[in-house]
Amino acid sequence: MKRLVAAAAFLLAFASASHAAQRIALPSPIAALSGEPPLAGGARTSAENVAHSVSASTKVAVAIDKAGTPFAVTATQRLDVRGVGDYFFTIGAPVFAVRAPADSASVPGMRTGSILWAGFNPGERVLVARATLEPAKAVPALPLRIHVGGGTVTLENATRVTVDTFTADAPRAPLVAYLSLLQGEVENGRTPLQTSVPLSSAPTSVRMAVTAPLHVTGTIGSQRVDLMLGARTRIHGSGRIDLRAEPVRHVDADTTIGGRALLQEAIRTTLTLARANQYGEFLGNPDPSGSSRTVYTYRTASPPHAAPIATVGRVRRTWVETALVVVALAAALAAGGAVWARS
Amino acid sequence: MPLLTACGGKQHGTKHLLIVVNAPFSSTPYLGRAIENGTRLAAAQVNTIGVGVGDEHYSLTVRTMDTGLSPARAVANVRRAVSEGAIAVVDEGTGVDASWRIAAGRGVPICIVFAGGRSLVDAATRPNVFRIAPTDHGIAFRLAEYLIPKRLKVALLHDDSDYGTAGAGELKRAFAGGRESVAIDETLPADALDLAPQILRARRAHATALIVWGRPATIAAAITAARSSGWNVPFYTPPTGADPFVRQQLADHPAWVDGLTFAAGRLTAEVGAQPFTGFVQRYAAAYGVDHVGVHTSAGVPVNEPPETPMYAYDFVNLVAAAVTKAGSTDPAKVTKALEEVTVEGVNGDERAFNHSSHEGVVDDDVYFARFHDMTYAPVKDDPLSATLPAIPQTTQ
Repeated sequence: MKRLVAAAAFLLAFASASHAAQRIALPSPIAALSGEPPLAGGARTSAENVAHSVSASTKVAVAIDKAGTPFAVTATQRLDVRGVGDYFFTIGAPVFAVRAPADSASVPGMRTGSILWAGFNPGERVLVARATLEPAKAVPALPLRIHVGGGTVTLENATRVTVDTFTADAPRAPLVAYLSLLQGEVENGRTPLQTSVPLSSAPTSVRMAVTAPLHVTGTIGSQRVDLMLGARTRIHGSGRIDLRAEPVRHVDADTTIGGRALLQEAIRTTLTLARANQYGEFLGNPDPSGSSRTVYTYRTASPPHAAPIATVGRVRRTWVETALVVVALAAALAAGGAVWARS
Repeated sequence: MPLLTACGGKQHGTKHLLIVVNAPFSSTPYLGRAIENGTRLAAAQVNTIGVGVGDEHYSLTVRTMDTGLSPARAVANVRRAVSEGAIAVVDEGTGVDASWRIAAGRGVPICIVFAGGRSLVDAATRPNVFRIAPTDHGIAFRLAEYLIPKRLKVALLHDDSDYGTAGAGELKRAFAGGRESVAIDETLPADALDLAPQILRARRAHATALIVWGRPATIAAAITAARSSGWNVPFYTPPTGADPFVRQQLADHPAWVDGLTFAAGRLTAEVGAQPFTGFVQRYAAAYGVDHVGVHTSAGVPVNEPPETPMYAYDFVNLVAAAVTKAGSTDPAKVTKALEEVTVEGVNGDERAFNHSSHEGVVDDDVYFARFHDMTYAPVKDDPLSATLPAIPQTTQ
C-alpha cells in the first residue's frame, strides 16, 4: 500500500510539473490497486532463454456455510503455455495442497506460499493445478461477500478500494478519443494501453472509490439470479446458494459531459478496468503480457466437523461382584495347580 | 546437535559438517568413485567461502562408506553415518528401502544419485529421501513418448536383475496406452553370455526395434546377439546403454555401437553447454579425465562426461543452501529447508525439490542421444533433444 501511495504522490508531482507542458498520464488500466489479488505476490518465471506466451484461466471454488461465511477455498488454474523451451514458473498462493487433474501435461510442485512448474515445453503444453488454499489468507482477496439472515441474502461487492488520484480541467477531444480506443481494445480482448492527456488547469489531489463490477449468476434456493453487482444488493430468498461471479471488463463512459467531469470519468474508467483486471487474476500469470481470467463460484456446503471423541463407559462392579471374581480366580488357580502337580 | 563430534569439531575457528557417501566402491568402483568425486568437488567449492549459520562458520567434510551393493552393508553404513553426526548422506540407492528409516530417526536427508526405482522416493511417506537422477518412470515414459509415434513394433527386453525388473514394470505402464506398438515382452538372464535365443524370438515376433532395459553387460550381449546374426535392428536403452562397459565389450566391433540410442538426464540447458563444460574442466582438473577405454575411428581416446558426479555435486550445493536457509545445522531442519531452496545446477538448469516432490530430475529432463563412432550426440527428432548441444567426448 505504501508503494501505491508513493506512486500516487509521484503521479501528482509529475502532473503538477507537466501542467506547464499541458499533459498528464492517466492511471494505468492494468496496474493493481491493492496488494492482492493476485495472491502471495503473483507469479514469476525464471526460464533461461524463452519467454513463453501464457494464457491463464482460474476457477475459484468457495465453500460457504449457511450464514454465507467461506470456510474452504480451492483454485484450479489452467496455464496454456506456448513456445518451445524450458519453463520454471512460481505461482504465489497460500497453498495447503496441490495436485494435477488428469488433463494436466505435468505435475505441479509445492513450496511454502507457492505452486511450482518446471519442465520442457515441446511447443504447446497445458498445465493444470488444483490447489487447496488457506482460507484465512485467500478469503480476504475474494471479490464477493455473502450474508444470509432474516429470509434475505445480501451480496456485497468486496472489490471496493479508495485510491489517490487527481482532478483538473481538460479538453474533451483527447479524452473522448482515448475512451473510444479503450473500449475497442477491451471488446477485442486486447491489453488496454495507458495514455497521457492534455490539461487546461493545474491538477489537484482527490480520493476516489473504485469498484470492479461483478456479473453474478446462479441460484439462491429455487430463485434464479442474474445481475450486475456494483456495491451491494439484497435478495429475498433462502435455501442453497450456488452463485458464479466474474469481474466485468467493460468500458461504458458518458462522453457527453464537460472536460473536467470527462477527465474524472476517464480516470474512473481506467481505474475500474484496472480493478476488474486485478480480480481477473486471482492467481498470478507468469507471462506479464498474457491474458488472465478468473471465475469465482460460491456454493453452500457443510463445514467439516471434528469427529466426536469416543468415550468408553467405565464398568463399575459392586463389592459382591468383585468378591465373586476373586473367588473364581482363586478356584481356577487351585484347580490348575492340582492338574499340574499330577502331570 | 550431533554434528561436530565425529569431525574433529572446531579447528581454526571453523566447525565441520559431515557428508557421507554411501556407494558400492568395491563392487562397481567406477560408480562409487564418480559419486565420491562429485561430492568432494562440491564440498571443496562450498568450503572456499564456507557455510555461515548465525555467528558460526562451517566447512563440509566428506567420508566414504562402501556398500558393496549389499543392502545390509548399506543400512549399517547409514546407521554409522547417523551415529557419527552426518548432516546428509549421498547414496547410490542400494538398501534405501531400509536405511531411510534409520536416517529419518534423526531427520538426516538421504539423496539418491543413481537408482531410479519408483518406490525409493516418496515425499509423503519418506520425507527425508530425495533423488537427483532420472527416474525409471521418466525414462520409460519418455521412451514410449518417443517411439510410439514412430510406429515401430518394439520388443521390450529386460534382464532379471533388480534394475531390469523395475524397468520392465515401468515400460509396461508406459506402453499401456500403445500396446499395438509392442511386439513381444521378453526376460533376459542377467548373467547369460549368449542371448541369441531371446533375440531370435524377438525377430520372429517381427520386432522392428528393441528396448533393452538391463545392466550394461546385458545390453552388450543383446547387441552382440543381434548384430552377429546380421539383424540390424535399432536398439534403445535406459542410461546404462551409455555405460563405458558397453563400448568396452563391443570395442572389437565399433560399428555395432553405431545407432544405439539411450535415454538419460540432460547434461545441458537452454543457456548452452558452458555451465556443464565448465564443470567438466573443474572435474578433470581435480580428478583427471574419465577414459571410456575405447577410441574413435581416428584413434582418439573417448572420455566419459561426468553425469553421475553432476548429481552428487548439485545435491551438496543444495545441502549448503538448505543449511543457510534453515539457519541451523540440525539435520531435520536442513531436510525441511531442502524443500524450499533452489540452486543453479551443473547443467545450467534450476535444481530444486519441493514439498510434494523430492525428485531433482523431472521427466521432461530426459533426453535421447545416439552413438556414432563411439561417442554420442543428442538426437534431432525429439523436441527437447533437438535443442541440446553435443558434449565433447574426446581429448585431442
